Amino acid sequence: MRKPVSILLLCLLLLLLPVLGSGGYLLNIIVMIFIFVILAVSLDLVMGWAGQISFAHAAFFGIGAYTTAIMERDLGTGFWVNLPSGMVVAGLFGLALGLPALRLRGHFLAIVSIAFQTIVYLALSQWTSFTGGQYGLSVEPVPGFQRVGQFYYLALALAALTVVLAWALTHSRVGAAWQAIRDDEVLARAIGLHTTSSKLLAFVIAAALAGGAGVLVAHHIRGVTPDDFTILVSASIVAMVIVGGQGTLWGPLLGAVVLTALPELLGPLASFKLVIFGALMIFMIIAMPEGVLGAWVHRRRR
Amino acid sequence: MDSFNLFLQFLANGVVNGSGYVLVAVGLTLIFGILGVVNFAHGEFYMLGGYAAVTAAYFLGWGLLPTFLIVAVALGLFGILSERIVFRPLAGKDATNAIIASFGLSVLLQNGALLVFGAQPQTLRLDGMAQTAFQIGPVFLTGQRVLIVLATLVLVSILMLVLRYTWTGRALRAMAQHPMVAQISGVHVRRVSVVTFAVGAALAGIAGGLMSAVFMVQPTSGSMLVLKAFTVVILGGMGSVGGAVTAGLLLGIIEAMVSGYLGNELRDMIGFFLVIVMLLVRPQGLFGRITERS
Amino acid sequence: MYRIFSRALAGAGALGLACALMAAPAAAQDTVKLGVMLPLSGPAALAGTSIIEGVRFAAEEANAKGGVLGKQVELFIENDEGSSTKGVTAVRKLIESDGVVGISGTYVSAVALAASKVAREFHVPMVSAGSTSSNVTDANEPGDPWFFRAFPGSVEQARQSAEDIVHKLGAKRVAIIQENSIYGSSLADQLKKDVEAAGGEIIAIETYNPDERDFYSVLTKLRTQKPEAIYMAGLMDAGAQIIKQSREVGMDTQLVGSGSMMSDKLIELAGPASEGFAVSSMFEPSTPNPVGQAFTERFRAQFNKEPDVYSALGYDSMNVLIEAVRRAGKADGAAIQQALMHMDDFPLVQGPADTTAKFDAQGSVPFKIGLAIVKNGKREWLPFD
Repeated sequence: MRKPVSILLLCLLLLLLPVLGSGGYLLNIIVMIFIFVILAVSLDLVMGWAGQISFAHAAFFGIGAYTTAIMERDLGTGFWVNLPSGMVVAGLFGLALGLPALRLRGHFLAIVSIAFQTIVYLALSQWTSFTGGQYGLSVEPVPGFQRVGQFYYLALALAALTVVLAWALTHSRVGAAWQAIRDDEVLARAIGLHTTSSKLLAFVIAAALAGGAGVLVAHHIRGVTPDDFTILVSASIVAMVIVGGQGTLWGPLLGAVVLTALPELLGPLASFKLVIFGALMIFMIIAMPEGVLGAWVHRRRR
Repeated sequence: MDSFNLFLQFLANGVVNGSGYVLVAVGLTLIFGILGVVNFAHGEFYMLGGYAAVTAAYFLGWGLLPTFLIVAVALGLFGILSERIVFRPLAGKDATNAIIASFGLSVLLQNGALLVFGAQPQTLRLDGMAQTAFQIGPVFLTGQRVLIVLATLVLVSILMLVLRYTWTGRALRAMAQHPMVAQISGVHVRRVSVVTFAVGAALAGIAGGLMSAVFMVQPTSGSMLVLKAFTVVILGGMGSVGGAVTAGLLLGIIEAMVSGYLGNELRDMIGFFLVIVMLLVRPQGLFGRITERS
Repeated sequence: MYRIFSRALAGAGALGLACALMAAPAAAQDTVKLGVMLPLSGPAALAGTSIIEGVRFAAEEANAKGGVLGKQVELFIENDEGSSTKGVTAVRKLIESDGVVGISGTYVSAVALAASKVAREFHVPMVSAGSTSSNVTDANEPGDPWFFRAFPGSVEQARQSAEDIVHKLGAKRVAIIQENSIYGSSLADQLKKDVEAAGGEIIAIETYNPDERDFYSVLTKLRTQKPEAIYMAGLMDAGAQIIKQSREVGMDTQLVGSGSMMSDKLIELAGPASEGFAVSSMFEPSTPNPVGQAFTERFRAQFNKEPDVYSALGYDSMNVLIEAVRRAGKADGAAIQQALMHMDDFPLVQGPADTTAKFDAQGSVPFKIGLAIVKNGKREWLPFD
């Protein structure tokens, strides 16, 4: 079978990349890809599996990032303590949002998540005494991982762990319950599944993983600012999931790669890049609504 | 005495800002109510309206009325274009897709404006509109600010009359209530779609033009505004024009009061808190209808 | 699925390899590599795009005279968009990918703070291109600075502003409108101390969020307290609105702006309300500083327009850096840092006559800042006395 061989080749390439090319710029992009892989794969648990729409993912991303920045500033703790802390804090916020919000359906859930996302952004950018306000806070690099070539491996490891975790969850009874809810919630409830707690589980796990990605990005970029965690970032993550293909494992991964890497390779000027990014989002949603992988799986089934 | 005057000034400020919100929110709620589309690029229509007004006034040197006529027409066309290219291909598909597409459109328009107009803020100077303030009792206002309120009054009234008494208006309302039945009765879905977007965009554009005379216009002017407009739409009830008007004015006034009495830094947050409360307590908003939960 | 999938993977792999190889730095050319980091888009773009003109001008002049150390100066320009996170990425790209030995940057203080930490870690000196906040130079180890500023920091600026307000403008009851940020707070806190030390009184402090544009409520509140002067600690966009709207709510109070408001665009945006507006200014084309005058003439000849404080900032920043390379004798970060620390007599175009780049232990150059008042739509300098 060709699949294991090509995956092995890819893994080898990924492991050797920092050694092969010393281009810090490229490695930076790939680290960001790893971080967005974590975000997209975790969001897919909510969207593609549990069948809920959430535009709040960047808020959890930001909560994780700010947790590490604030803990470092006030408690003096480092990456290894802050990573689980960030995940716990983000998970708790996920619980706080999920409990009331998962009662709502469809449009309303999307809108509550947007409102939550915006409140978090406003709190980050305007509660200056606590969060450093518009200009944010700085974060120390992780000892032992200061150069981007070293941090690369840290990010790779965490991204790989996330993918493995997602795979394990979706192929377990938890995942089966999610699938049942996604396909027909009324029926799922009728056969005795606890739909609300199941959905909540997906939501909280996704939020925690996003928080972890936030801790990672904070130490990578050496700082946090509110503008890195806006609703546009949330929308981009949703786009990654959809463009890649919801409910598949590789789909969000592919989406993360495409939507993170392509704009970077398109041009030096920020606004030009973003114009293309916007157009790309529109094009991909229209042309491939089931996502690249979704369409492929579809064709394969015929 | 002084504190009452202060209160009146805050009230006046609130009505002015609220009117701006109303114009933008009405378009948004129409688009949602009639077409079921959540349009995040609506803020960019507002921003482009501001630039259209500045361009018309500066480069063409036109006066008040012609400038805003141009703005309405230009943005109406823009709305039609957006509908055609972005939203029509997604009609009938999952709503999330339209939301994402509208985000993409928003990014595209915002950065496109950045490339075309540059990052420098611009302000609209209208001839025939005094730059100085005048007083109505203890309250200070400028011509531009009063204009916003007047324009909103006029435009919203016209809109409500059109919705009530014309064929087009009835078609729009029919589409909002029962798309299936409307179609069977001969309503052209496509035409309705086009008209709705055109009207929504034009209203947002006019609001942008008016506001660019009071404040400034920059490529990023639309981002926060669209979130405020959504706040208004949710509070008032998605699809309800009357709700948008009420909630818009209320939000403007509440923000002004919070800013004046509690602290300017809290102004932006209050709206979003209200939204969360509203969604938990009465999700359909003040005047919205309870839609079916599938 | 698997066939296409594996082909896609192979393709991605090949692409990745190609990118990696392309991205490896080119063989060292014979140039002196200097980095430039500025906000060329985003909220501070107005300043950034003006400053870079001065930076480029300095590099071009140097190259026209044969460059430095026998080689041409090569500029690597990065846009930090006014964001600290993009700034850190930009400075790492400059240092790790492009291999620069010195950096001219940046303008937004929060970005400078974040970026200077990285620069210090890699031993690459940075010369401020407009960032004023004393926080940044305070982060330097005294006696071992890696971030330099060829003009006074915010603490010094606020002190001089306070004295100007109380003594030159004769205002004792002062209100402050500050941006809700570290920049705004540091200026406001310092000004409060200094106004009180000079015999004045701060009667109110109002805060606003950085992208706020509606100041009617704030100004109406202040109007009831009748201040003799209002100091604005924030950026140009908000400043323009405050000035314009203060007149609209019927206030004719003297307005004083912080350093970021010394631009012509502000006068344009605020309109006729800007008459009488006072702002600290470190450079005007009419400067009494002969070095500054010469610069003005050359700049005017080259660009067909007047230089402003931004072009002067950029020019001084890059010029000082190039001179430091020359005095260091080699293109090495640590040597350049030493040269900067001991550069006592190199003339600057900003400030009054005889201003030189004599950095203090924290990396700043204190000189007397002039107060400019807008008359007939143009800024005029009050005598330095």
